[in-house]
Amino acid sequence: MTSLRWVGVIAHKDLRIEFRAGGRVVAMIALAVLACFLFAFALDRSQVSAQHVAASLTWLTVLFAATAGAGRAFDTEEEDGAFRHLLLTPIPRHAIFLGKTAANLVLIWMVTLLTFIALTTFLGLRDPGSLTHHGAIFLPGTIGLAATGTFFGLVSRHSSLGDTILPALTFPLLVPVIFFGATASARVFMERPWPEISGSVRLLWAFAVGFTAVGSVLFRYVAEE
Amino acid sequence: MKLEARELVCDYGATRAVDSVDLAAAGGSILAVFGPNGAGKTTLLRMLSGERKPDRGAVRLDGRPVSGSDPAWRSRVGLISHRTGLYRKLTVGENLAFFATLHGVAGQGAAAARALDGVGAGELEGKAVEQLSRGQRQRVALARSLVHDPDIVFLDEPFTGLDPGGAEALEAMLRACREAGKIVVLVTHDLRRGVELADRVAVLRRGRKVLDGSASEHGAQDLLRFFTAGGGAGGEGAAA
Repeated sequence: MTSLRWVGVIAHKDLRIEFRAGGRVVAMIALAVLACFLFAFALDRSQVSAQHVAASLTWLTVLFAATAGAGRAFDTEEEDGAFRHLLLTPIPRHAIFLGKTAANLVLIWMVTLLTFIALTTFLGLRDPGSLTHHGAIFLPGTIGLAATGTFFGLVSRHSSLGDTILPALTFPLLVPVIFFGATASARVFMERPWPEISGSVRLLWAFAVGFTAVGSVLFRYVAEE
Repeated sequence: MKLEARELVCDYGATRAVDSVDLAAAGGSILAVFGPNGAGKTTLLRMLSGERKPDRGAVRLDGRPVSGSDPAWRSRVGLISHRTGLYRKLTVGENLAFFATLHGVAGQGAAAARALDGVGAGELEGKAVEQLSRGQRQRVALARSLVHDPDIVFLDEPFTGLDPGGAEALEAMLRACREAGKIVVLVTHDLRRGVELADRVAVLRRGRKVLDGSASEHGAQDLLRFFTAGGGAGGEGAAA
């Protein structure tokens, strides 16, 4: 069996549990919708154009929801000690990391889609720009979020501070992702041409691949005693 | 097949949890390791199973060093602990099929059913783990640990929380493992059950081995002496 198949098996297991239990998905979605709702109320649209702030608000909402989800990514592994048995299977450690990252990514995509719809609706944005371009930006950005969140989700489990330390660990690392993601998305909202956006997207892919690769290599040192 | 530990040492910071422990277990036998709380039993088991790298010393199988980072070693090991290690939201069958898949077992559905039948829990296959009693979960955990037919089975306080029926099923399964030629290493507080099951017994106290001998030579009362401070004086290497 190839590593890719193992990644699929782990991700499938995680998603099956998530959709049956519902706790993490519901918490992420509730946080995202609530944040969108509050942003829409807090914004004085006579002073600030919705088109200019929609990108930043979308990325911030996705960041908060993804962090909340990452903090619980290992709940099901820890509740009855299944992680110990998972580590005793012969599959490579990086397959466990990538499988859990993939499951996280699916949840983040759901939240991103919902956030996008909610914010454009609440802010009354009739023309958000090219959806294909938005997708091309969110794809690498959310991969970076999922990989970082999964890795530090486990690190925070081993910390005496638990999940509370997670934002302090992830946010500084995610500054470039949020910066280039929000910049690129803002240009799509303002219907700028793709050549003005593609540079940021390339950087987002570099961060996504970098975070995933580093997480894959370091995961075994965090997972094992 | 022979599993040997030589001069195993494990430190947690300044605390020495396991101190120069030698142990050996042969295929087709059960080794029971006893000791009071904090004696280092679980740490020793984690080093034997490869979950934790010893700070000093080595674990060897048939003379070859084993490592927890070696997938071939992990595929030969089964672990049962007082925590079931099952996913509550999955059914029993899904749990077993998941672990069978990760162990590369062909026909994982059939293997799961076989393992469940082996522990007398075939009727639980379609039930969610969260619906099961503690005893039922432990039986399923036993089936999960054996689904890939491991050569070496490690048990960490497996009797905790089991009802008499569950404990008897576990004992029967361990005897079956012994007859199948597997190495069984059992860590437990339960002196009576441990002595009845084991071929060899060892006692740890404060990280050091204070007794290692044949189970037939040491009754539960005899072993109890080695639990208490001073009881093991002169017990080091008390038996071959």
